[in-house]
Amino acid sequence: MIKNYFKTAWRNLKEHKFHTFVNISGLAFGLATAILLLLWVQHERSYDRFHKDYSRIHRIIPHLDANTVWEGVPGPLAVYAQSVPEVEAIVRVMEGSGQVLATEDRSTVLDDFTVAYVDSTFLTLFDFGLLNGETKPLFPNPNSITLTESTAKKFFGEDDPMGKVLQLRGENFTVAGVLRDFPDNSSLAFDAVLPMAHYAQRFTANGGNGDWKTIDTDLGNYAFKTFVKLHSDANPETVGRKFTQLYKDARNGESTTVFKLQPLADQHLVSVDGNTSAARMVQVFLLIAILVLAIAAINYVNLTTARALVRAREVGIRKVVGASKVQLFLQFIAETALLFCFALLIAIGLIVLLLPLYNNISGKQLHFSLANPEMWKVVGYSAVGTLVAASIYPALLLSGFQPLQVMKGKMASGRSASLLRKVLVVFQFSIAMVLIVATLVISRQMAYMRKVDLGYDKSYVFSASLPDAAVEHIDAVKNELTNHPGIVSIALSNVNDITNMDNSTGDLDWPGKPENSGLIISQSLIDGNFIPTMGIELLEGRNLTGTAADSNLYVVNEAAVRAMGLTPPYVGTPISFHDRPGTIVGVVKDFNFKPLKEKISPLLFFNWWTGNRLYVRTTAAEAANAIKAVERQYKKYAGDIPAPFRYEFVDQQFEAKYRADQRAGLLFNIFAGIAIFISCLGLLGLSTYTVRQRVKEIGIRKVLGASVSSIVGLLSSGSLWLILISVVLGTPIAWWTMSNWLDDFAYRIEIQWWMFVVAGLAALLIALLTVSFQAIKAAVANPVESLRDE
Amino acid sequence: MIKITELQKFYRTEEVETVALNNLSIHVKGGEFVAVMGPSGCGKSTLLNIVGLLDDLDNGSYLFNGIEVAKFNERKRSDLRKHNIGFVFQSFNLIDELTVFENVELPLIYTKVPAAERKKRVEEVLEKVQIMHRRNHFPQQLSGGQQQRVAVARAVVNKPKLILADEPTGNLDSNNGNEVMQLLTELNEAGTTIVMVTHSEHDARYADRIIRMLDGQVLMETVG
Repeated sequence: MIKNYFKTAWRNLKEHKFHTFVNISGLAFGLATAILLLLWVQHERSYDRFHKDYSRIHRIIPHLDANTVWEGVPGPLAVYAQSVPEVEAIVRVMEGSGQVLATEDRSTVLDDFTVAYVDSTFLTLFDFGLLNGETKPLFPNPNSITLTESTAKKFFGEDDPMGKVLQLRGENFTVAGVLRDFPDNSSLAFDAVLPMAHYAQRFTANGGNGDWKTIDTDLGNYAFKTFVKLHSDANPETVGRKFTQLYKDARNGESTTVFKLQPLADQHLVSVDGNTSAARMVQVFLLIAILVLAIAAINYVNLTTARALVRAREVGIRKVVGASKVQLFLQFIAETALLFCFALLIAIGLIVLLLPLYNNISGKQLHFSLANPEMWKVVGYSAVGTLVAASIYPALLLSGFQPLQVMKGKMASGRSASLLRKVLVVFQFSIAMVLIVATLVISRQMAYMRKVDLGYDKSYVFSASLPDAAVEHIDAVKNELTNHPGIVSIALSNVNDITNMDNSTGDLDWPGKPENSGLIISQSLIDGNFIPTMGIELLEGRNLTGTAADSNLYVVNEAAVRAMGLTPPYVGTPISFHDRPGTIVGVVKDFNFKPLKEKISPLLFFNWWTGNRLYVRTTAAEAANAIKAVERQYKKYAGDIPAPFRYEFVDQQFEAKYRADQRAGLLFNIFAGIAIFISCLGLLGLSTYTVRQRVKEIGIRKVLGASVSSIVGLLSSGSLWLILISVVLGTPIAWWTMSNWLDDFAYRIEIQWWMFVVAGLAALLIALLTVSFQAIKAAVANPVESLRDE
Repeated sequence: MIKITELQKFYRTEEVETVALNNLSIHVKGGEFVAVMGPSGCGKSTLLNIVGLLDDLDNGSYLFNGIEVAKFNERKRSDLRKHNIGFVFQSFNLIDELTVFENVELPLIYTKVPAAERKKRVEEVLEKVQIMHRRNHFPQQLSGGQQQRVAVARAVVNKPKLILADEPTGNLDSNNGNEVMQLLTELNEAGTTIVMVTHSEHDARYADRIIRMLDGQVLMETVG
């Protein structure tokens, strides 16, 4: 019986090639697209879940006030943990990037490592396995280092690294273990870990922080990313409250900091301040995957029910010779399953083919391996889900035909099926409408962000960190560089990245400061050239001079004077910054020194010492020469520093901040395009059957003198009405969705009415092209042919 | 075998109700060969469909082998049909995607006959209708007469007690038509009851009895 089902199914597929082609290609594209999207979603959601106890691990996040959330917490929290019974283990992590590691004889010196000082409980909390299977002790002494496999290979090749010595910042560390490389779905990823005990020793040796001499007593530095593993019945909120209270007690009640616990599993998709835009992006992609599958399933339902007319006679005959409804139902399910197998095979082929390109666009390293059970889960869910959605209704419809009626050519339940088809087409094109609007809005928002006036001139400015010796001889360096023809101007600062300045403080006083102010202000060390070199506009007062006279003068931005509640004229307002009294001498126009998703916040410029980061404004033509000139100076003073000269253009730093957004936007556009394409494929197939059903009518009309254009109009108008309804239904959905999306951006475009008009016209045009292809073919056909055919 | 009493059948559209069969009673004995004749629209095909349990009746009684089947639901009718009744249509009604062999095999599949037994019976019946040499061809590759012979083979492969033929020669030339009629006669002689709707006086002569209908009623019966 089953054999007979598949035999008939196979011959049906072979016989009706156009139908098969439209069906299989729609399904294959749909499945391939959805599976690619789901792989991405699965990877994003798999972050940090490979730890056995991930659900019990939390990160402690300090909320300094309602708007200020920092990344690290003070060291003593690790001490408090001993008096919080809910805490099973706690680990502090202090990471540094761009580190230089060298072998003892300095024969191999490599840079750009991310290393972290961690408490010895690191492997108690996390399941990052040691290569040789041992777990304890991670660090036999404060001068131990544990490398990852890749780092060990870089220095020692295939040799056993255990017991070998590596240098970091002039100190020797003995390799005590090798960690497996951190998985690519781990939000913690280092090249080497070192004992926190070593950092603690150095902290104390350097005099500590004021009265606090050890990291376990220093309440002032929020320096450590800190994770806790709780007992399984513990309530994270309670634990957070306990830490808050313990810290407040240690501060003699003078602390407003609230510690909250964030689940480890949220690390990757929810930022510390609770911004869930990354998680929402994952949801959006999941939704698109489901929509694409729905569209593909709808195609199948529509094409199969439309073609039911052709299959009806067969159903009738089978019933007359004895087939039961159940047997026929199973036959049609089997047919769908067979078609799905082909579609799935093609989809897998497409995925394998497109994965490199997809990785390139998405910036991921996804692998499609059939040996991976997780992969099969994704493939299985997509295929089976779509199969169920697509097969049941057509199978019920077809198996339910009354033999007598269908053999006479009268379609039972034809009207309800055709109504359903219309509803489904409207659903597809409503989605298409939303997607078209979304692509318009997204691409315009992306373009807007690129072109938005940042408040400074980011083009042709690069920055580079100088060696300490160069800073000591800064006048000589400046002299050399300012005379270079390719260099327009130079400035010094401690700002590493002007597109994301993250150094802030609450240590600011001014007359009339409210008790509960809690103002957090970004602070940047600059010289007299920084403001003009970056093209920042001075609104009031004057710039810093770059001399010792600046020591009690400050320049602030507009947001700062607003937040402080000052009244003009601002210049001359006395303020105290880090307990150093002084006055405001200038106010600069607000410029974006944070990602554009954030509003411009208060900022203060001061000039107390010489910054070590050089900002150079050059020109398009001379950029390469300017870089060479700076590099020469760098090398002149670099001495034994092995790190090569590095520079970054500000506009590239800016672009990098939005690369993820740009990528997501591009991916969205591609997938939206595919979804619309699949919808059109369905419409094309559907119009073929509609036209075929009306062949006789077209013939009669033509014999009676109808023109080609009137027939094309007649055949297309039905579909176009449906599209028009879709446009009307899709518009409010699109408006609501995209307004929500734009709310994530502090700098955003407004949704314009013309976007809906353009999207609607695009949907209509696409549909018209699709439908008219068949309509024109039917309209120009010889009427005698069509009548004879009937 | 077939005892129909006071049968009524209406066709309804939104506006009109047409009487297709009006208080019609017929009786067919086992082993009979009955021809039903009458002008287009007299209700003879409707009658055949009701006899074949393809259509239901509005009023009256239908005893099939002594069992009242008028109120049978779709499943019971289908069950009775596939074990007892074979159909031959004017337009052959073969499935284009299946070969001659597979078309004939179909009723056996639905009555769950094992594969080896199916093969034997299909070959037997294909021999009988002399189409064995075309067993692997598809219907479109055959002449009309050959297709109808396949359809007859399919109708008899399950050894039904009753064969219903709806103008079996209507689409055939006289030579092919005669062949098919010969085939039906042989089946009848072997004991199968046959009810045949036809327009052709020539074909009707093969029957034991001719029922003539007009406007949904039996006009007269003659012995063939």
